[in-house]
Amino acid sequence: MSFVAKASLLAGAGLLALAVGCNRDQVSHFRVPKEAVADHPDHPGHEDHAAPGQGMPPAGGEMPAPPRPSGQGSLKWTLPKGWSEVPGEGMRFATFKSPVQGKNEATVVVLPGAAGGELANVNRWRGQIGLGPIDDAALTAARVVVKSKAGALNVYDFTSDGQAKSRMVAGLISTPDGNTWFLKLTGDAAPVAKAKPDFMRILESLRLD
Amino acid sequence: MIKTLASRIWKFFKSFQLTIVLLACLMALVVLCTLAQVEMGTQGAVNAYMRSFFVKRQFSFLPFPLPVFPGGGLVGLLLTLNLIAKTLDIQRSWTKAGMWLVHSGLVVLFAGEFVAGMMQVDTNMSIEVGQTVNYVQSYKNMELAVIDTTDPTWDEVYSVPDTLLAKGGSIAIPGTPLTLNVKRYFPNAELSNLPPGAPPSLATAGVGPGVSVVERPAVTNDNEINTGTVFVEPVAGGRSYGTWLASMALGAPQSFTHEGRTYSLSMRLRRQYLPYAFTLKQFRHDVYPGTDIPKNFSSLVQVVNPSQKESREVLIYMNQPLRYEGKTFYQASFGKNDTLSVLSVVENPGWLLPYVSCVLVSLGLLVHFAIVLRRSLKRRQDKKEG
Repeated sequence: MSFVAKASLLAGAGLLALAVGCNRDQVSHFRVPKEAVADHPDHPGHEDHAAPGQGMPPAGGEMPAPPRPSGQGSLKWTLPKGWSEVPGEGMRFATFKSPVQGKNEATVVVLPGAAGGELANVNRWRGQIGLGPIDDAALTAARVVVKSKAGALNVYDFTSDGQAKSRMVAGLISTPDGNTWFLKLTGDAAPVAKAKPDFMRILESLRLD
Repeated sequence: MIKTLASRIWKFFKSFQLTIVLLACLMALVVLCTLAQVEMGTQGAVNAYMRSFFVKRQFSFLPFPLPVFPGGGLVGLLLTLNLIAKTLDIQRSWTKAGMWLVHSGLVVLFAGEFVAGMMQVDTNMSIEVGQTVNYVQSYKNMELAVIDTTDPTWDEVYSVPDTLLAKGGSIAIPGTPLTLNVKRYFPNAELSNLPPGAPPSLATAGVGPGVSVVERPAVTNDNEINTGTVFVEPVAGGRSYGTWLASMALGAPQSFTHEGRTYSLSMRLRRQYLPYAFTLKQFRHDVYPGTDIPKNFSSLVQVVNPSQKESREVLIYMNQPLRYEGKTFYQASFGKNDTLSVLSVVENPGWLLPYVSCVLVSLGLLVHFAIVLRRSLKRRQDKKEG
């Protein structure tokens, strides 16, 4: 083998090794069947005991979630027949499942203080279903006040534009401990319309713990 | 002139001195990497010392880390080139066939470690009894999952790896009208409720405006996970959907709707979806009678692979992994009162190379021994006759 051939082979081997080392970051895409809502552990081993002699690290415990309101500031509610409640994680306090078929879901989120104010939150909700922001006057016009034992809730009902319409019914209420509670029913327009009467009954049933 | 230089480089690569220096570096790396595991954890130390081209150190007077020692990658690469150069220098005759085989075996062994270092993927699969899972997830790496949840039966999952988020800038999501502007990325952070009077959050949408984010140093220990956190602004059709906070510390995904399609955003451990699914039928944790000493852990799983029209039961137990579609599933851990099984999943395209290497080296040594034996016997015969 000539000297040039030897050198080329050596250089080729080096370049191949470097090429293997180049790992490109890119967005990947998967189409997957919908996951059943379950308390599947995202962090394996969170209450586990690693099997002896195996390489599984106890993968670091629960993530710190913001403290949850309890006692005086906590809200209670009564669910209509057929509805169920799943305790929330992280910022979400609870999730309600309605018996209505189709895409719809009710959530309870608690944030400290005014959480940015009513107009900002309403515009954020509108943004989530593709609607533009509104001003104070339109906010007042869109507001429906629902009375409950915990106080008055300001409720808004918005439906998106476009062919596949999304709808959101959302109420917010401040509690004596300074938190703001957001109760939202979101999903496709038709199932949300069916679930709305029951959701309004949940809002009316709100009371302080 | 060029020929002289090339000849010198060639001489340098095939020199024994280089072999000795590189082997010394490798020994030093092994000691340093072992000591570093105390603070960095196994994977952190291996990545920093062995699976890198340079060992870097951050000095307080410099804004970037400085290479202070050759890493395992560089030493291994040079050692391989050294070995190849030496092999090419061996005389090409049948009398040297054994040496050729031994050297080739060593090159294959080095190549195997390179392939493992660069391409081996360690993940895990956690399944509860009765649950079906069609993905494996990383122990440490994270992703921002942008999921189009519009279809009632399918989810379109777009995974943006944390390494891409760390680069910042705009990230187009192929196949969607979305572009994500990464406003800020924290490899590790601590989240709490935004206290009254605190400066406003970067987030303007979702739960983010009420959350305070404080950056924390990234952890590499085996038993810790980083709380990856990112502020992103989805833009579609020239319209901004506000800045959202996504974090490993936020449980529920947050969503917005663009032209009738709903997209959810969530930060989670990086997933790799599989074209097949495992259902955990039974998990057994046997102990020796009268003690708590484990005797056996086993998972009975139903493997369903529609593309192969396959559905069969497999028992995975300690030291008896399942090798399937390029991945190896080991029984690794358990939890939730023995209703959750955790399988460690290893994918190494070069897993066969060490075996090939062993065969080549053994064969080479045998051939070399036979050749030397024959030569020696012949010499003895010649002496007798002479």
